[in-house]
Parts: sequence; structure tokens; C-alpha cells
Amino acid sequence: MSQTPAFPLRVRAALLDERLHVALGRATDALRSRRSAAIGSLEGFDEVRDLARKIKMELLADLSSHLQRFEERLIANGVSVHWAETGADANRIVAGIAKSHGARRIVKSKSMATEETHLNQALQREGMEVVETDLGEYIVQLAEDRPSHIILPIIHLTREDVGEVMHRRIGVPRTGDPQTLAAYARAKLREEFLSADMGITGANFGVVETGTICLVTNEGNGRMVTTLPRVHVAVMGIEKLVPTLGDLDVFLKLLARSATGQKITTYTTLIRGPRRRGDECGPEAMHVVLLDNGRSRILSGENAEILGCIRCGACLNACPIYKSIGGHAYGDTYPGPIGAIVTPGLRGLRGWSELPAASTLCGACRDVCPIRLDIPRMLLGLRRDTAREEGAPWSLRLGLKAFAWIAPRPALYRAATRMARAFLRFRARDGWLRRAPGLASGWTRVRDLKAPAAKTFQQMWKERQS
Amino acid sequence: MSDPVQLFHTCLVNEIAPEVGMAAVRLLERLGRGVEVPLEQTCCGQPAYNGGFHEEAKAAARHTLDVLSATAGPIVIPSGSCGDMVIHQYEVLFRDEPEWRDKAHAVAERCRELSQFLVGEWAQVPDRPRLRLPARIAYHPSCHLLRGLGVSDAPLSLLRAIEGVTLADVNDQDECCGFGGLFSVKQPEISGSMLDRKLASVAASGADRLVSCDLGCLMHLGGGLRRRRSPIVVQHLAQVLDEALP
Amino acid sequence: MSARTAVLARLAAAQRTARLPTPPAAKPLVSATRSVAECGERFARELAGLGVDGHVESSPEGVRARVSALVEGKKVLSWDPDQLPYGLGAVLGEAARGSSPRADQAAAEIGVTGCHGAIAETGSLAVLSGPGRSRTVSLLPPVHVAIVTPPDFCFTMGEFFAREARRIGEAACCTFITGPSRTADIELTLTLGVHGPGKVVVVVGP
Repeated sequence: MSQTPAFPLRVRAALLDERLHVALGRATDALRSRRSAAIGSLEGFDEVRDLARKIKMELLADLSSHLQRFEERLIANGVSVHWAETGADANRIVAGIAKSHGARRIVKSKSMATEETHLNQALQREGMEVVETDLGEYIVQLAEDRPSHIILPIIHLTREDVGEVMHRRIGVPRTGDPQTLAAYARAKLREEFLSADMGITGANFGVVETGTICLVTNEGNGRMVTTLPRVHVAVMGIEKLVPTLGDLDVFLKLLARSATGQKITTYTTLIRGPRRRGDECGPEAMHVVLLDNGRSRILSGENAEILGCIRCGACLNACPIYKSIGGHAYGDTYPGPIGAIVTPGLRGLRGWSELPAASTLCGACRDVCPIRLDIPRMLLGLRRDTAREEGAPWSLRLGLKAFAWIAPRPALYRAATRMARAFLRFRARDGWLRRAPGLASGWTRVRDLKAPAAKTFQQMWKERQS
Repeated sequence: MSDPVQLFHTCLVNEIAPEVGMAAVRLLERLGRGVEVPLEQTCCGQPAYNGGFHEEAKAAARHTLDVLSATAGPIVIPSGSCGDMVIHQYEVLFRDEPEWRDKAHAVAERCRELSQFLVGEWAQVPDRPRLRLPARIAYHPSCHLLRGLGVSDAPLSLLRAIEGVTLADVNDQDECCGFGGLFSVKQPEISGSMLDRKLASVAASGADRLVSCDLGCLMHLGGGLRRRRSPIVVQHLAQVLDEALP
Repeated sequence: MSARTAVLARLAAAQRTARLPTPPAAKPLVSATRSVAECGERFARELAGLGVDGHVESSPEGVRARVSALVEGKKVLSWDPDQLPYGLGAVLGEAARGSSPRADQAAAEIGVTGCHGAIAETGSLAVLSGPGRSRTVSLLPPVHVAIVTPPDFCFTMGEFFAREARRIGEAACCTFITGPSRTADIELTLTLGVHGPGKVVVVVGP
């Protein structure tokens, strides 16, 4: 059950926020055009997407074997492997790892999986200090806010907002200059990196054949977090595998282009295990936590393909609903089209069924998805599940029963529609209604309703033919 | 003389904008095609389907398939969204019912959205009528037409065939207008926000007409323009072409 | 039942009922091999686009002179001399190394490394960790100087994976570095040098 205010309230709050609107519009427009330019630089973009889809769909069909092989290779590389059935289990495991290594100061590189499990709060309850080190996530943490976009977590904040947060929370002089703010963050976080006991990351990909974790970042904090502290923990969703390094290459061609419009991010790091003999730096111990938390349930159904998502965020930037309401309105870790499917999938449909309903099924998301995920199909399926499980308000149910009865009976259909037409025409002025009744009242809240015609097309047609 | 076409006029055309249906008839006849209208048709069932009510949608779908299967020859549909429903979604709806799925497939093969059909006919007709209409037109590609059916060029090339027409530059032209069927009444505020963006782009384009191939979008856009007291004329593609006929 | 058993059992059951779409037919990627000269040219163009200073030297003395000039007057952190090409150890003086105290490493103003691959298609440097090749060198200082030798060149990352599979397997960490550290988190405004080096210089030798 969602703990944040109800979806309609979140939507209304977002729509009333003019600054958010401007920020979202600007950012999604920029990311969309950068993406367009970047995919232009990749020859055979659609063929590469087909290949990526093929790799992921085949992998998912046999995920358990791939995971076991991945685990074998991780262990051979000197990595300790842990399995977490739920988010709470993952948190418990990570806290346990920290305690066993005597780790109290923890630095984190961005990981959506750990946001999903609310890891930071769990570790803080155990008395550990956890610092987010992605600039955007760091600000989110300082502001006690939540990220609103998968790639740009503070897309909803202005530079002045950021300056205010940093001034209030770490005492730096107030400024709105991004360079200066970044420099403050660099200095402050460097202290954290150098003194931390443990680093936590997610994993963009896990390569089965080599037992390697791949991290994709632009800032360098992913490297800091996996190089300086003596322990590294990577929390990875069980679906994030690719079979070989050659397969990884396919996804690396698509991820940055789809997410930020870069050919490749500044740092692409492949980590094979803790430091090797003779290495002068690197963690002494490395742990990987394999997270289920509902992914196996998603795999069991007709939305299994959503597990092929590589978290690029392209669907968010293409979605006109996301552009209108932003990430917080979706109420959970993953916003946008991907969130509308993943959130009900991981958390259950109850309490989240408004998400798949809040879409026009325009298909812009499917157009840009590097894995060609058929998001509209899955949204329709979730709506069908919602109708089955939750039913509908009695007025709608009555209307549907009536529709199902009259639609196959033309004479009844004509009689019913004749009544409806007459009713609406009666209420109209100059052929329009400014306030429609009942179910249609939502229509006239934002636009006029054209009154039905005096004669139907079929009537006009029959007259013409006679 | 080629087969007459069956017109699946759609419920919105029938009830709200019959003039669109009449315009489509005149266009088809002008291109040398006979037109027949299966009078038993009612509704393709899309609103129920999109709402997740598959059993109710199936009731409408089965009737639609029965009506259309009793005819022969091409079926023309003046709507991208109803077109996508009949052409693609019926087979998904009846995925687990082989008899209905096959029936849906056979009907789908015969179906074309109106602009798709006209563009094919237009190319083949020996003495094409000369289309003329001075207008600055903003074209709105409805999502089911553009992405569902993959029809992007046909409406544009038809509009370009009209002497005197300028196609206005619309920012983010391919972005959804916010209609989305029942979405328009279940999420009116988000629908309104998307409408605002679309109408701002249309206004900025300097167009005097807004044209689309889907009545749902046109009602939504037209209703918004009316609320804003805008002079921009809203028309279905069939109406523009009909008006441009000599 | 352990968590591992439970998860694997759930997955096995899920795989039986999963409704996955039929995978599309797709051809594997074709790796384009290019000459060293073509690679060098493309690499230089990519570096320019990334804002990385690129220098091409035609002799080992030229490389040493260039690097000397770059590190002049600065505290240096570097790979061990036996890991660097072109006898660069000689010109780096009293450089801190991976074995130096962390505080000294953190105080360095410029880091000097070699590389294991120079990926022309993206302008990326591939760096493998190992003895004498501390990861901190290309990470902590605000400026990173990377020395490339012609055999390092390849056109794509896929080629590098294929060519260097064995060496990648021996390293705890393989990092591809493509330009300076950057972020656009604040209002999409580009800022360089957030955590990693804000300036990268590449010197290609003969």
C-alpha cells in the first residue's frame, strides 16, 4: 500500500507547480534531442535494439541457470555472494556485512535497487552513517527529498534550491552557481570517500561469463566508492545479467545514448572482485547481494519482458504524462512508463492500479526503448487485471453491462444512443456543452463538449440512398 | 470497376460528426469507388478494452466481426484508433480463442484507415480531381494512427496534394494531445495539461486550421479551442479533402 | 530453506509460466577492424569532442619532453616506472605512487598512467588495475595524463574485449575512461571534475 498521499493529490500538486513544469519541459526536451543526435551516431540503431531485445528475452527464459553460473564465477573471483528474497532481507544482509567488517562510515554510488529497498534508512537505524555520492543523490539526501527522475534525480530543483540546501545542511556560502556548488560537493565528498569503511553500489549489468559487475557513471564516484574503502557491496537485481562481454558491448552502445545522449558515459567500470595480490588499492573484500524482491513474480506472468529494462530513462523523457506530472507523482522508486509497470509488479496492484491507468497509450515510450519493451501492451494487461481484481464504481459497472448488452444489438443501440443524443442536445447551447453531466463532467472541466448531431450518419446515408 | 468499399464509420462519426462520414463517402465515390455501409455496425469496443474490461469489449468486438465478415472487399475506417483496434487489438483480445482470432485476422487484412486507403487510390486514379483550398494547416498525427498503424506520410501527402495549402510547423508535432479515450474524463487535469501544451504549439504555428484523422483527438482539441474562443477551425482530414474538391 | 534455494525455485517455476515475447531475429554485431592510422585519426576527433587535450609525439624523447612540461612544478602521482612506456619514469622525479601513503596520493595535482587500450570509436582509454598500476592515479588528482602507444589502439570496445580477454581476466578492475569527470545534475548545466579528474590529457607516442 502506498504511504505517500493518494495519486490524485500527488498529480494535482504536480500540475499546480509551475516551476516543476518548466524544469521538466526543459530537461526532457533537452534529453530527447540529445538522444536523437546520439542514436544518429550509431549505425543500424534499430538492429542493435533488436539484438539487445533478443539477448534479454533469451536470458530471461533461463534466468535461473544464468544466475547460478554467475554466482559460480563470482565466487571463483573471490566475491561473497548473498541472496535476498525481499528488500528487507537485502537491507539486513548489507547491515550484517557492514557489522562483520566493523564498518560505520559508508559511501554509496547511485543504486535504484537500494532505493527500492530503502537501504539507507535501514543502515542508519543500525547506527551507520551513509552518504550518497552522486551529486544529484547527495542533494536529495541533504534535502531529505526523493529523486524524481531515474537519470537526473534533482530535475525538479532549481540551482537556487540546490544552493539553499547546501547552505543549510553543510554550511557553505549561499550561491546558485552550479560550478561552485559542484566544487563544494567535490571537496566535502572527497573527505567522505577517503575516510569511508565501506562502499555500496548497484550494478548496471552483471556479466555471467566473467563474473563481473559493470558500473556506468559520469562523475567518478562509482570508482571512488569501489576503490578507496576496504569493503565493497554491490546490490544487484537478479534480472540485470548479460551472458558475455560481447553482449555487454551491445548494451553499452545503447545505454548512454538512450539516457543522456552520450556515446558512452565517462566511466565504464568492470569489477571482477576484491583487490588481487600485488594491487595497492581496491577493497579487501567484495560482496554481491542478488535481489529478488518481486522480480521472480514479475517473471512468472505476462509482463516478464519488463525485466529487460536497463534503466536508461528514455521512456520518461518521451512520455507526455511524465512531462506533465514529474516523477514524485508516481509515488515510488521508478517513475514514468517503466514505473507504471514495475511498481505494481514489485509491490502488487493494490494501491498502485492508478499508475497503469494514467496513460493515453500513445506508444512514445515503446518507440524510444532500447529493448523495444511493449509498454502499452503491458499497461493494457494491468488495466485488465485491475478491472478483474478491483471492479469499478457501480455507475461504471452499470454502464459497461449496458454497453455489453446493446453493442451487439443494433436496434437497441440505436434507441439508446438516440436518447443520449437527445439529452445532450437539449443541454447544449450553440451546439456545445460547457458543463456535461455524470461521467462526462471530467470532460468539461477543461474543454467544451461538442453536442451530438441532429441526424446520425446512418440516417443521412439512408436518406441519400433513397 | 473495382469492388465497392465497406465503410466502418465508427460510433463517434455516427453520433457526433456525421458530416465526416459523408465527406468520406464523397471522396471515395469521386475516386470511382462504390461505397456500402453495413448498417448493423455499432461500436468497435475500444473504450471498454482500454479500460481493462475485456469481456464487455469482446461483446462489441464479436458483433463487429460478424457484421464485417458478412461483407466482402476492402473495409475503410476514418479513424486511427478504431483502425488500430480492429486491425491489431482484436487479435490480441481473442488471443486464446482461435476461431475468433482467425476471424479477426481475416477482417484485419481487409481493413485500411481512410488516409492509407485514399493515398493508394489517389496514386492509381487516371483523372485525379484538382484539389484546391487556401489554408495554413497544422496537422496532428494521432498516436494510434502514427505508432499503432505506422501511418505517417499518407495524411501529409494528401494535404500537400491540395493547391493553396501550407503545412504549418508545429513544435513537438508527434506528442500526444492528451485525449486517450476514457483518460480524458478519468484524468481530466493531466489531459488538460497535455491539451494546453498541444494548443500552444498549434497557436505558435500560425495555422488557421487544425486537421487530424481521429475524431476523439479532434473533439478534445476542438473543445479546448472552443473554450479558449479560438478562431482556428478543426477538421477531420476527410472534411478538408472534401472541401478542396472542385 | 535458504534464500538461494527459495529464489532459484521461484525462478524455475516462473520460467515455466512466463509469457515472454518471441525474441526477434537479430544479427550479431560486426566488429570493424581499422588500421592504426585510421584509429589514431578517429581517436583524435573523439578526444577533441570530449574536450580532452591530445598530443601526438613522433619520438620517445618527444613524449618525455611533453610529459615533463605537463608535470612541471606539480606534485605527481604515477604508475610505477616499470609500468610506463617510453622510459617516462625518468622524468617524473619524486612522484608519489600507489604504494605511497594515501594522504600523499590525495595531495597530488597530476596523475600519470599508461593504458591498455585506446578505443577510437568513442575516444576511450582502457585501464586495467594491477601491481604498480594503482586505480587512484587516474582518479584522485584533478588532472590525468594518459600515455598511449600505437599497439593500444583498437576501433571498438567489443574489439578490446575480444583482444584482451585474458588480461581483463587477471585484473580486479577494468575501467574505460572517456573524457573528464562530469555532471549535469544541476539544471542540466555541464560541470567538469565533480569527483574524478576535471582535465584529461592524452599523449600518443610513436
